[in-house]
Amino acid sequence: MPNQNNTVLVIGGGVGGMKAAMDLSEAGRDVVLIDQATTIGGLMTRLDRTFPTNNCDLCTISPNLSENARDKHIEVLPLTQVSGLKGQAGDFTVTLARAPRYIDMEKCTACGDCHKAFPECVRFEPGLDHRAPTCMRYPQATPQAFSIDMEKCDDVAALVNVCPAGAINPDDGERVEKRQAGAVVLAIGAELFDPSRLENFGYGVYPDVVTGLEYERIMSASGPTGGELVRPSNGKPPQRVAWIQCVGSRGINREDVPYCSGVCCMYALKEAIVTKERFRDDIEATIFYMDMRTYGKDYEIYCDRARKTYGVRLERCRPHSVISDAASGQLAISYATDASSELTTEQFDMVVLSTGFRITETACQLARVLGIELNEYNFARTQRFSPVATSRPGVYVCGVFESPKDIPETMMQASAAACLASKNLAPLAASGNGEAMLPPERDVSGEAPRIGVFVCDCGQNIGGVIDVEAVAAYAGKLPGVVLSQSAGHGCSREALEKIKAAIVKEKLNRVVIGGCSPRTHENLFQNTLREAGLNKYLVEMANIRDQDTWVHKNYPGMAVAKSKDLIRMAVSGVAQAQALSDNTLPMNKDVLVLGGGVSGMNSALELADQGHRVYLAEQAGHLGGIAMAVRKTLEGDDVQSYMADLVEKVSQHALIEVITQAIVVDHSGMPGMCKTGFQIGPRMYYRQIEHGATVLATGATHNVPRMYRLGEHAAVTTQIELDSLIEDEPERVKAWGQLVMIQCVGSRVPENPNCSRICCQSAIKNALRVLDLNPEMRVFVLYRDMRTYGFSENYYAEARRRGVIFVRYETDTPPEVTPDGDQLEIAFTDPILGRRLAITADCLALSTGMAVNEEATEDLARIFHLTRGLDGSFLEEHVKLRPTDLAVPGFFVAGSVHAPKNIKECIAQAQAAAGRVLAMLSKDTINLGAMVARVDPEKCATCLACVRACPYGVPFINEDRYSEIDPAKCHGCGICASECPAKAIELTRFEDAPIMTRLEGLLERSA
Amino acid sequence: MEQFEPTIVAFCCHYCAYTAADMAGSMRLEYPPNVKIIRVPCSGRVDAIHIMKALEKGADGVLVAGCLEGDCHFKNGNVKALQRVTALHPFLEEIGIEAERVQMVNMSAGMGGRFAQIATEFTEKIRELGPNPAKAGASRLAAS
Repeated sequence: MPNQNNTVLVIGGGVGGMKAAMDLSEAGRDVVLIDQATTIGGLMTRLDRTFPTNNCDLCTISPNLSENARDKHIEVLPLTQVSGLKGQAGDFTVTLARAPRYIDMEKCTACGDCHKAFPECVRFEPGLDHRAPTCMRYPQATPQAFSIDMEKCDDVAALVNVCPAGAINPDDGERVEKRQAGAVVLAIGAELFDPSRLENFGYGVYPDVVTGLEYERIMSASGPTGGELVRPSNGKPPQRVAWIQCVGSRGINREDVPYCSGVCCMYALKEAIVTKERFRDDIEATIFYMDMRTYGKDYEIYCDRARKTYGVRLERCRPHSVISDAASGQLAISYATDASSELTTEQFDMVVLSTGFRITETACQLARVLGIELNEYNFARTQRFSPVATSRPGVYVCGVFESPKDIPETMMQASAAACLASKNLAPLAASGNGEAMLPPERDVSGEAPRIGVFVCDCGQNIGGVIDVEAVAAYAGKLPGVVLSQSAGHGCSREALEKIKAAIVKEKLNRVVIGGCSPRTHENLFQNTLREAGLNKYLVEMANIRDQDTWVHKNYPGMAVAKSKDLIRMAVSGVAQAQALSDNTLPMNKDVLVLGGGVSGMNSALELADQGHRVYLAEQAGHLGGIAMAVRKTLEGDDVQSYMADLVEKVSQHALIEVITQAIVVDHSGMPGMCKTGFQIGPRMYYRQIEHGATVLATGATHNVPRMYRLGEHAAVTTQIELDSLIEDEPERVKAWGQLVMIQCVGSRVPENPNCSRICCQSAIKNALRVLDLNPEMRVFVLYRDMRTYGFSENYYAEARRRGVIFVRYETDTPPEVTPDGDQLEIAFTDPILGRRLAITADCLALSTGMAVNEEATEDLARIFHLTRGLDGSFLEEHVKLRPTDLAVPGFFVAGSVHAPKNIKECIAQAQAAAGRVLAMLSKDTINLGAMVARVDPEKCATCLACVRACPYGVPFINEDRYSEIDPAKCHGCGICASECPAKAIELTRFEDAPIMTRLEGLLERSA
Repeated sequence: MEQFEPTIVAFCCHYCAYTAADMAGSMRLEYPPNVKIIRVPCSGRVDAIHIMKALEKGADGVLVAGCLEGDCHFKNGNVKALQRVTALHPFLEEIGIEAERVQMVNMSAGMGGRFAQIATEFTEKIRELGPNPAKAGASRLAAS
């Protein structure tokens, strides 16, 4: 029974809500997760794939869905809405209205008989999804049960009779419940704009005009066409597809909203890439856009790939309308380009409308019930420097309901909201390990192998390349295999339940999963085995997706052969697997935060506020970081007073020790118990700090490229210097007649391919502020794409309205700067006139953006053994779903060291990192796993080879004169095992015998 | 005559090379299906006997793939691996197996492109070298 003041109510079961719920439950908190839909999953479950990895969406999310449902701390309540919220932070009483499902969840076996008997008769938003009166939203739905729309049912008695389990209850009614909660997290997302309100694109009239979401459904393996891309009008594959961006967004016309939805450029690129990937030269993909807004981490590279590798055509223009030719059924788009003033008309087979986010009326009602303020577009209003806190204390928001954003940013905000929510709860009691909930482990030693093989199709990811049934049939004939079957989406709840049932029914004692990478999914399947009463080390995964079907699509024959090889290898390997037990150690609850900028300080403060001792180490002599040089945000908030307050709070906090002039020199130990060595102060004295977790918030550097005479001519400055100049020397700024800004200086170039994300906002901010000082000043912004995403678009519109002149430049004809006394002459090509023009400027402000601090990240990566991406920044555990966790457990990342961000975004990620640390440190013990080296004293010749080989100096010669390895200190690399000449050392799970058997299994055919 | 399709075993360390191979997957970079990966915790876990077993069982080429030099998750496992591979080369030559059939390579976890490129180039190289002579010997033995 949940402890009431330990409970958080999470509203909305999309990715954001699920993430917040999982973080809280990981931290030992109870969660009530409600959603008004029949299942959790939200918008993401309807997508086909996600950028920038082009992963199958359900594969990515369904482990989370089933995790949520299985988690003992999370209670999932679908078909539920909030009808009242009383009390205050820490002590809320929530009234929940639970709509009838008409199905008894205890009795329903999800057999689908009701669904089969009552054929589809209702159309379901978003248009292409057909819904029967009994429906499951998608095959991997959680909870795994149908629901009935009684109003749409003509023959209730027949419907009740069709259910063999007697689960249908037509008399089910709405129930009202009251719950206690310490905090509320709002993750209700938004809906997408409905373009049928506009006549000009013919949506709803021409069947081949679809929205981006509908296009995802058409491409999705679980969609209405089973993943076949066909034109809704005639069922034939299209040859020319066009995307139109900003439909209903960034506009001033009827039905338009002025803000930018921030994600549509990326999703259109993704849909175009996936289309080209599948159909190559048989299809043309064209995107009509205003500004290509690929401002996220590695998104610019994604856009380049779309253009260069896949040949997606990007046409800069906002077409007015789509006109269908009744005879040919083709869709005509007329547009003008810079190159010509003539209108060009092109015919397309399908047109995809990229629609943005809109807040629903239901959301507004909910806001009224909760008593929180909304902004002018009905998004939740948050505090300036606390981006997930709503106007009501104890109520937090994350995801699109806060402002338009993509999944990684939603995940950061979700973790941040979880972190802040837990502040309102009772302090954590000592945690149990949860073992009690599990069935006892069955002893399988001495049993002959009874191996079960489960081959995933992962939708089209595997099933689209190889015949999964045939591969499963092949595996069924391998020695020791007693059961082999295809598993669909093996990581879905449904499939996991089937695997568990099969383990029990067939008395399996080993399991092989043919699917994706053990890096991402081994844990999930290990837990599944454990829940079925088997030791978790009795499962092996054959990576037939990432390392087979994804990379050998063009050789399906060989891909099939390889999948059989890999499964055969896994079968022979798993046959040798033994039950193992994990080693544990006590967890150190102290935290090291590296970097005393706005991110580091926020992380430190949240952690210290929730009872952890924090060491905040900063390389410079004082706290503050880059934000100390920033005076105002785009919204006009005073950064300096915020920083002064933050520095004060951090310095005064009893649980935070600030260490300045600190350079990391060494690191040892393991997640949950490690030591980091520093050289501190001008005397460089050495100090070692013991801690359990580490937050990296070391920031980025100002990029100062030697371009456009920066550093040579006094009139050339950067945006950040201009920001201070406006505050400090307004008279000087006021006197300027003409100001020129150049965007993307040193960003989006081969040396630094990513977009710096913040420079367009900075330029607009400074342009508006100089106009405040001198409305007569002529301000020119030379840009490539204006990337004022979300609500910052409003400021861009304001700048245009107030006369700032925006001129686009191409990288092959960049602006040229020539000194002219105290002034500068700036020459550029006007794309519309097609001519070179020159302006004399009193000041040239370069938007130089941020760059990875190469030296610092390289050092830290080496010392902490962190992996880095191609741009030199730290690689996250999962770019989409775990953007704050690094690939090495116990390390978390926050702020601009992750990727360029504005202050608000840095604070969100800093709070997220604190939340992730809280989750990790809520446990009292560290699980070391079972992979350790063991010495056989009988064979040890005391030659010292292992003592010399071990990178951590763990083996030693004991009193009995043989080598001994402390399992608590062993890192499990296995170097000693390979060095030992007497073969006296074995690394558990990777002993010689299983490696050899795997090789034999793999090479059986060739031998 | 049908093109010779070599069998290549790649021992990939969990932290870098195996991740890079997965990355090649998420980037959908094509490489020849001849390359089959065995996951090891660290390239330093790869023992000479594992490589010899692979050759004995009919692999035509063996890759040992670890983290970039200086970036090994376990400090210096990749250096140990390189030492072992280098030490193995003269013995291979001695028994009539070309040393080029066994190669140590390094890459970071982010280098999906490099993994695919190495896989492609190494497969081509082994294709040119032809079948592993040990395999020919084994099948002769079987035939006689």
